[in-house]
Amino acid sequence: MSVSRDDFSIAFRSALLQRGGAQKFSVLSLIFLAIIIFFLDVYGSKFTKPFRGFLNDVVYRVTFLASTPTRFFPEASRDIIGYLNLKEENERLKALVEKYESLELNVEFLVDENKNLQKILETEYFNKNLSNIVLAKVLVDKNSPFLKSIIINKGTRAGILKGMPVTKNNYLVGRVVETNYLSSRVLLLNDLNSRIPVTLDEGAQAILSGSGTSNPVLEYLPEDYEIFEDINIFASGKDGIFTPGTPIGKTNDKSQVDLFVDPNQLSFVTVNLNVQNIGDL
Amino acid sequence: MAKYSVIRKIYHAGPLILLYYLCISEVDTNFEKIFEIFTLNFQIILIYFWVLKRPEIMANGHIFLAGLINDVVMGFPLGISSLSYLIIIFVGTYVRNKSVNTTIASDWFTFFIAMIFSNLLFFTFLNNFTEISISMTKIGYNMFFTLFMFPIFWFIFNLYRITFIGAKDA
Repeated sequence: MSVSRDDFSIAFRSALLQRGGAQKFSVLSLIFLAIIIFFLDVYGSKFTKPFRGFLNDVVYRVTFLASTPTRFFPEASRDIIGYLNLKEENERLKALVEKYESLELNVEFLVDENKNLQKILETEYFNKNLSNIVLAKVLVDKNSPFLKSIIINKGTRAGILKGMPVTKNNYLVGRVVETNYLSSRVLLLNDLNSRIPVTLDEGAQAILSGSGTSNPVLEYLPEDYEIFEDINIFASGKDGIFTPGTPIGKTNDKSQVDLFVDPNQLSFVTVNLNVQNIGDL
Repeated sequence: MAKYSVIRKIYHAGPLILLYYLCISEVDTNFEKIFEIFTLNFQIILIYFWVLKRPEIMANGHIFLAGLINDVVMGFPLGISSLSYLIIIFVGTYVRNKSVNTTIASDWFTFFIAMIFSNLLFFTFLNNFTEISISMTKIGYNMFFTLFMFPIFWFIFNLYRITFIGAKDA
């Protein structure tokens, strides 16, 4: 019995403290070091923030370079497939151009009408400062089962602040959650930690919550509210951060939201520097 | 002779290079696009196998550094992945010290224990000391598929070990 206990303690101690050969550090010392680094990063943000920012910038760039081969093959295959489908795509696009040409007149009329109505209501056009946006390239899009985020190649140097909304083709994709000097991390709408105040077609207010899957869900809807398919979802702007009316997605038959932008297919995004209430960020 | 020595060194460094590459690149083992719940933690399989079979290939310091890089890329607080990997090393080394002959079944079972301890610590730290929310269902699926895929990777790594490094345990 005592021999077995001795065996246990020897094996246990050896596993924790063993060094020599290729092992220059014992497991125990590295465990302590990891715990210290963890708590410094979580609680000692004043001391560690500049270091973490520098480390992030360096690692993100190395990640971008290291991922180049993995990015090349899917892009090459997409190009080849695109080339093979050129004729078919040309015909489809011609039909689309004809359709949009006929719609253009209607749009022009509606824009004029909208402006006139706004003048009557003495309201300001909420997107008047659209020029103040930053175009950013997605550096890293590592798919994690737990966190849905991307890293972009613009940071505080370009004026990006934590909390700023990120869009693609004017569709909302997420918000900035971490800023470094040369890069930022964007939390996508489908992440479990994402919460966005939204408004529905009929004017109902709700919170769009990421579910960790590709489709976020609507929470805090009015009582007895029934979700139908194809209801458009827009940012309500009630938080003072997101531009009111930014389109996000539409409801599907499972009462979830199909985002207008696929979060897994982002290569360039825009960051809106015109947040309404910078104090809340 | 020198040429063979260099090639041998490259073969020996293979698992470590793979670990660093998985941590720093965009390559992931998250196959949600193919099958909605299919995600696995390949790094811990890699670490556990080589710690168990040839610990001199996977130095503790390198694994610690790989964990730090993984945290930066994934957006986790620094040190949490390192801690999780170190627990895997600890259990692997303990099992190695206690056992003479191991089989795939015994490795599989002990890997399960290592994974439980490692993930328990990882998610306890994440839940209690950070504001990051994580779905318990996803953790369950991740653990299940990691465990499920272990024998497959065990065979692949074992083949690599026999072919390029040498079958004899260190």
